[in-house]
Amino acid sequence: MCAMASYTLPLAERRTAPAASLPAGPSPELPEGILLRNALWFCRLRWLVLGLFAGFGLLGLAPGLLARAGLRPPGAWPFIAAAVLLAANVLALAHARGAARHLAAASTNLWAQIINDLVVLTYVVHHVGSLETAVGFAYLFHIVLSCIFFPRRWSFLVTMLACGLYLGCVALEEAGSLAQAGIYANAALREQMDLLPGVRLAHVGWAPFTWIVVWYLAAHLSAEVQSRDRELAETNRRLLAAQEERRQHMLRTTHELKAPFSAIHANVQLLTKGHCGELPAEAHAVLGRISTRCRRLANEIQEMLQLANLASATEEPPPKPVLDLSQIMRWCLAQVAPRAEERQVTFDADLQPAPVPVVEDHAKMLFGNLVSNAVTYSHPGGHVAVAVTPEPDGGACATVADQGIGIAPAKLPRIFEPYYRADEAVRHNRESTGLGLAIVRQVADTDGLRVGVESEPGVGTRFTVQFPGSDPNPVAEGKEDRHGLSPARG
Amino acid sequence: MAYLLLVDDDEDFAAAAAKVLRGAGHEVHVALDTDSAVESMQQRRPDLAILDVMFPESSSAGFDLARQIRQDIKALRDVPLLMLTAVNSRFPLGFSSKDIDEHWLPVDDFLEKPVDLDLLCARVGDLLARAASQRPPRK
Repeated sequence: MCAMASYTLPLAERRTAPAASLPAGPSPELPEGILLRNALWFCRLRWLVLGLFAGFGLLGLAPGLLARAGLRPPGAWPFIAAAVLLAANVLALAHARGAARHLAAASTNLWAQIINDLVVLTYVVHHVGSLETAVGFAYLFHIVLSCIFFPRRWSFLVTMLACGLYLGCVALEEAGSLAQAGIYANAALREQMDLLPGVRLAHVGWAPFTWIVVWYLAAHLSAEVQSRDRELAETNRRLLAAQEERRQHMLRTTHELKAPFSAIHANVQLLTKGHCGELPAEAHAVLGRISTRCRRLANEIQEMLQLANLASATEEPPPKPVLDLSQIMRWCLAQVAPRAEERQVTFDADLQPAPVPVVEDHAKMLFGNLVSNAVTYSHPGGHVAVAVTPEPDGGACATVADQGIGIAPAKLPRIFEPYYRADEAVRHNRESTGLGLAIVRQVADTDGLRVGVESEPGVGTRFTVQFPGSDPNPVAEGKEDRHGLSPARG
Repeated sequence: MAYLLLVDDDEDFAAAAAKVLRGAGHEVHVALDTDSAVESMQQRRPDLAILDVMFPESSSAGFDLARQIRQDIKALRDVPLLMLTAVNSRFPLGFSSKDIDEHWLPVDDFLEKPVDLDLLCARVGDLLARAASQRPPRK
């Protein structure tokens, strides 16, 4: 017997408050890549420390030099500390750069570095002077860094480890298990600190107390920052997902709306091209009307979707690679050529190489609509002059000029409105959707292009598009002015 | 003349295109989904396959099928592929001929829907002729 399959519809993801969906409780570990980057940064800092130790050791080799500063020659300990740090750095770098990445995770690398450093630091603290100098506060570097790198409980462990190592060192010194050391030449200094037990305890305890307070503050601030980072990352992920969802929706909608017309168109062709036998002339005329309306509706759907897609673009502006505008214009002319031939309209093209930063799809939409309009509103046998010219400032200028029906001056400011069609334009061609120039305006608005139009009824219309030589900042400029639709001239 | 496989989930379009292609002398088999297309191709290798892009289960099933044919099925690797799409347009939303690429879009040519059926016949003829000229001569 077959097992019955079951499926439960997952609950919809909450969209309103990104912070609400963030994991509660302790802050999670940072991603592996960030931890590795931190490990590398940690190694670079350690080269400086290593250099300091080696330099101090070398100074100690110069007879009498440190003594003049009231310090005693350190002997071998700075070189030992430098050598241990060198070995740790080589291993940590090899791991972080991938040579031994398979052996341990990035967090293990960081942990190993921090523990190694704390042990070396304790060794240094002992030799520099655990009570008579402020070197013990160097533990703070590791405590603060661990607050940045690790979740709160891990950074607390680092703080406790620092406290334990420091107090252990002091305790062993006090008990006489570790020989008295220190960098001050005056050995009596420590004896002079022979304070009452309560004062001594406060003196020893001051450093760990300060570290714990610093840990608390740094861990709190770091958790806040990490929480904001995660919120931002989550919001960004949702935006990208929404953008992809919209793109998929656009594709699917285009397909779903266009596919039926494709089937109708194919079946109409079966009839009109005689694949189903001869048809009377009247039937041919009816099929012609069906075909025309289908094509018009398909174009309208296509243009509505393009306009909606451009108008609702909320994502980052698309990339603008430097492309030759003349090639894009040539491509558009080739697309419109069959329709131009049908309407006995010829092109006079003067296309000079003009490399400018441009969104290719947008430029194709813009030029395609301008050239298509020029053909549509030309008289049979007319010419359409198309030019692309580079500008001295690195930009380019494209013009599309027809000898068609022209536009009355009073109507020019309205031609870029969606669905606006002048009466004479409707009389000349009923197939147009009235969306072509709205798409042109939207592209100009989105990409910061200046579009101008000059027209005279009965003489023709000339559109000019100015492409800047560099990508203009769409935020910095006024939105109304960016498309630069110029008023009627002539 | 040639054995063609037409893969399209739109039965009305597929029937009309198949009729015209049959009228041009070709033998045409129609598959309405990509699984049955693969099955059909493994039973009998077509001289050319015409693929739609979007299918109900996936908006890129046609691309996936093209990649599968080119990369995974050795016996079908050199079958000429002609892709049909309703998404591409005179003003692009999707891809263009420059995207015909062995990895991204491994097809020989594509046509935009609504398709002129005479153009479809002509393009099929061109691709078959090109494939015949590239085939090593039989002894």
